[in-house]
Amino acid sequence: MKTIKSLILLCLVMLTFNACSDDDGGNNVLQVEVDTVANLFAPQTGGQGQPISGEFTKFDFSTGAVTTSTTEWDIAFRGTSIIVNGGASLGTQDEPERTGNGGAYIATGTMSSIAAADANLVVQDSDQGYAIPLGSGNGWYNYNPQAHTIEPIPGRIIVIRTRDGKYAKFEILSYYKDAPEEITAEIAAQDLRYYTFNYVYQPNEGETTFE
Amino acid sequence: MRLLLFATLLVLWIQPVEAQEPEEENEPEFVTQKLDEVIVSATRTVRQLSSLPLPAQIIKKNEIVNINAMRLSELLNEQTGLVTVPDFGGGEGIQLQGLDSQYTLILVDGVPLIGRSAGTLDLNRVSLGNVKSIEIVKGASSSLYGSEALGGVINIITENPKTGLGGYLNHRSGTFNTNDTGLNLDYKKEKFGITGFVNRYETDGYDLNSDDPLNTVDSYENYTLTTKIKYDLDEDTELIASGRYFTQDQNTIALEEFNGESSINEWNTRLFGQHEFNSKWSSALELYGSGYRASELLVDQEGDPVTESEFDQLLIRPELRSTFSPDEKTEITGGLGMNHETLDRSDFSSKPIFNSPYIFLQYDKTFNEKFNLILGARFDAHSEYKSQFSPKVAMRYDLGRNLAVKGSVGYGFKAPDFRQLYFNFSNGVIGYTILGYNAVSVVLPQLEEQGQIANILVPLSEFDGQLSPENSVAVNLGFDYKIDRSWTFGINLFRNSIDDLIDTRIVANKTNGQNVFSYYNIKEVYTQGLEYNMSWRPNPNLNISAGYQLLYAKDKEAERAFENGDVYARESPSSPAFQLDESDYFGLFNRSRHMANIGLFYNYPKWKANANLRATYRSRFGLVDSNGNSYLDEYDEFVDGYAIVDIAINKTIFKNYELGVGMDNVLDFTDPQNLTNIPGRLIYGTLSIKF
Repeated sequence: MKTIKSLILLCLVMLTFNACSDDDGGNNVLQVEVDTVANLFAPQTGGQGQPISGEFTKFDFSTGAVTTSTTEWDIAFRGTSIIVNGGASLGTQDEPERTGNGGAYIATGTMSSIAAADANLVVQDSDQGYAIPLGSGNGWYNYNPQAHTIEPIPGRIIVIRTRDGKYAKFEILSYYKDAPEEITAEIAAQDLRYYTFNYVYQPNEGETTFE
Repeated sequence: MRLLLFATLLVLWIQPVEAQEPEEENEPEFVTQKLDEVIVSATRTVRQLSSLPLPAQIIKKNEIVNINAMRLSELLNEQTGLVTVPDFGGGEGIQLQGLDSQYTLILVDGVPLIGRSAGTLDLNRVSLGNVKSIEIVKGASSSLYGSEALGGVINIITENPKTGLGGYLNHRSGTFNTNDTGLNLDYKKEKFGITGFVNRYETDGYDLNSDDPLNTVDSYENYTLTTKIKYDLDEDTELIASGRYFTQDQNTIALEEFNGESSINEWNTRLFGQHEFNSKWSSALELYGSGYRASELLVDQEGDPVTESEFDQLLIRPELRSTFSPDEKTEITGGLGMNHETLDRSDFSSKPIFNSPYIFLQYDKTFNEKFNLILGARFDAHSEYKSQFSPKVAMRYDLGRNLAVKGSVGYGFKAPDFRQLYFNFSNGVIGYTILGYNAVSVVLPQLEEQGQIANILVPLSEFDGQLSPENSVAVNLGFDYKIDRSWTFGINLFRNSIDDLIDTRIVANKTNGQNVFSYYNIKEVYTQGLEYNMSWRPNPNLNISAGYQLLYAKDKEAERAFENGDVYARESPSSPAFQLDESDYFGLFNRSRHMANIGLFYNYPKWKANANLRATYRSRFGLVDSNGNSYLDEYDEFVDGYAIVDIAINKTIFKNYELGVGMDNVLDFTDPQNLTNIPGRLIYGTLSIKF
């Protein structure tokens, strides 16, 4: 009986608190944003033995869109490379300056099982390597040398700390245009570097959960 | 000094490995034949097969002739638990107890074939035209043979000269303009005997996929020449000199714009002498040399070379063996020798030279008729990798007249190959680099100096040591059961636990976004399962045999990953991933859980004819990870199981002529995508003349 009473009391307190904050208009609890990005094009020049160059395609979780801003971006794509807006350059050509405090780590799980970000695991890009490691099997993809295809490793969820300290997670579904069921040789050669990914963005600062 | 002399004598004794003579070409009665059958590969002595404590098998001339097999690959494919697997380079290697082809040692008359340019030894290189029998010993045999005998040993025994002058001409013509012609000549008078064999094989090749300009197998032709000279110095001393030469040319059309040529030249020579000092002691000295040279040239339409590659391997091996038999039930065999190997190859950091002296000893004893014990061990020292000690123990116990139990535990190893040590290859198209273990500390700093390295992930100090040979512990436990004279059963449980399997890892990132790979010891895998063989001879003219292998071949790290729930899959590229559990892990690539074979051999003496029907089945297997998690799981695409059925009919006419017709792959099974070594239905005719 006593427990129920306390529960009710607690609820009431919480309600009041929430109401109060709403009234204040300040500490708004925003809804997490869940969306899918399709066909984010991340071209590169070079590769295939030559030094890689070309502009990165930047993405901003707060707007859920691609951006060309030099500061207002969280992650950026070029070929299979994904960088974060935080840390130092690896030293490849055309890497944008990192102006934020972003970081990332790769978690193993599903979009639903990774319920919260672990701030302790977040690392930043550096001259020793990206936070999201390069290379087949290291980061988010496997390269199939027979079929020359890039396939996202199932169960790799990339957790992001955005430039301004918020958290997001995303799961890359495809590296090819329109996320085809079967990657034919033609698709593998022509329609590559088109990212499709699911993401969840927690817009509340300091909040690590994705619920 | 005396001690030294004694030591020399101790080693100088041996036993005629060559002497599996009792040349009963015409099959005697079934039962006696079974008892008399001897095998030389299991112990390196002439050894009765029926009392051997090891899983072993002999394929006799009869079977080879009756099924009209031309090449070793065709024959091995029909044996229980063996399957030939196509290689990228077009070769066909053998998978034995679920182990890859680089783990089975292939011998001709007890000495090894070389030339594994990509790990695989192409079995299509070996003509069966002068083969007397083939011995297959399963389970690690490094205690006798050293490197490569990790999964087992396949020994091809060639014909010996028979008294008088004889000859045998054989021709087979069939689909795809495949022609195989062989001529055997042999002569023996008193102390001197000689054999000569010439074989020509040609084929137009075949194209399973007409959509692309490439052929599945391009046309090629090859020649095999062999000779064996035997001379009995006196009753106790025998000398043998033998040689083999193989040459093959193939024109390839790599792409529409390119033309290619590849050639293989291989030679083997063996000098062998043995002497029986008395009824207890004998010794043999053997000098073996073999060279294998493969070259590939790709030219564009103007005839300018695009790529050129060379592979030139040499093996020289002197060996001294001795056998001491204090009594009829005991045999002690020992030997010492040295492998000297060199390789000249494109894309190598240096021209490697391997020197590896070795010594081995074996004790074979039968106690009170029922219990047989074999103890053996070998030590291989090596200049480039860690020295190896390979022990083995095998036992057999007769539980009754019809039932015997046999078991063996042995250590096997495979030395790192030249590629894993000295490779220095950069892919011109993609831009990655592969370095052999020993090449890393030399080449990586060079690449760094050239500004090609972004960062080094594995410290160079890790390459100061030596790469360990891949090694395994093989356990075999089996039962032989004879219901009566016509029924025999054999069952064998096996497990090969392999350690230090060599894999590649990324050692550095390159500035071009690609990686530098090198080799390291990491993986642990096992293959385990059960083999079952049955033979039934309801009457002297009908023999029915059947075999089955159940196989689980798995990577231990992968098993742990599945257990820990670290592996995920997605059903389609656009659906979210889900977690897999242990039961979803299938195992290693290219392994079928079930393989089975059945053979019906019928002999009709009245017509001097024989006929046979054989079928092999292989259950589904996976070749690639199709869902990106790098493991083979139940959600990957599998190659469907398939069956191959062959028939052959042969008839003797005018005593010395034999005509045959047959059809291989009657059901015309093909899988252009996954099984490039299966050409579809083949119809052929054969003619043999004995003179």
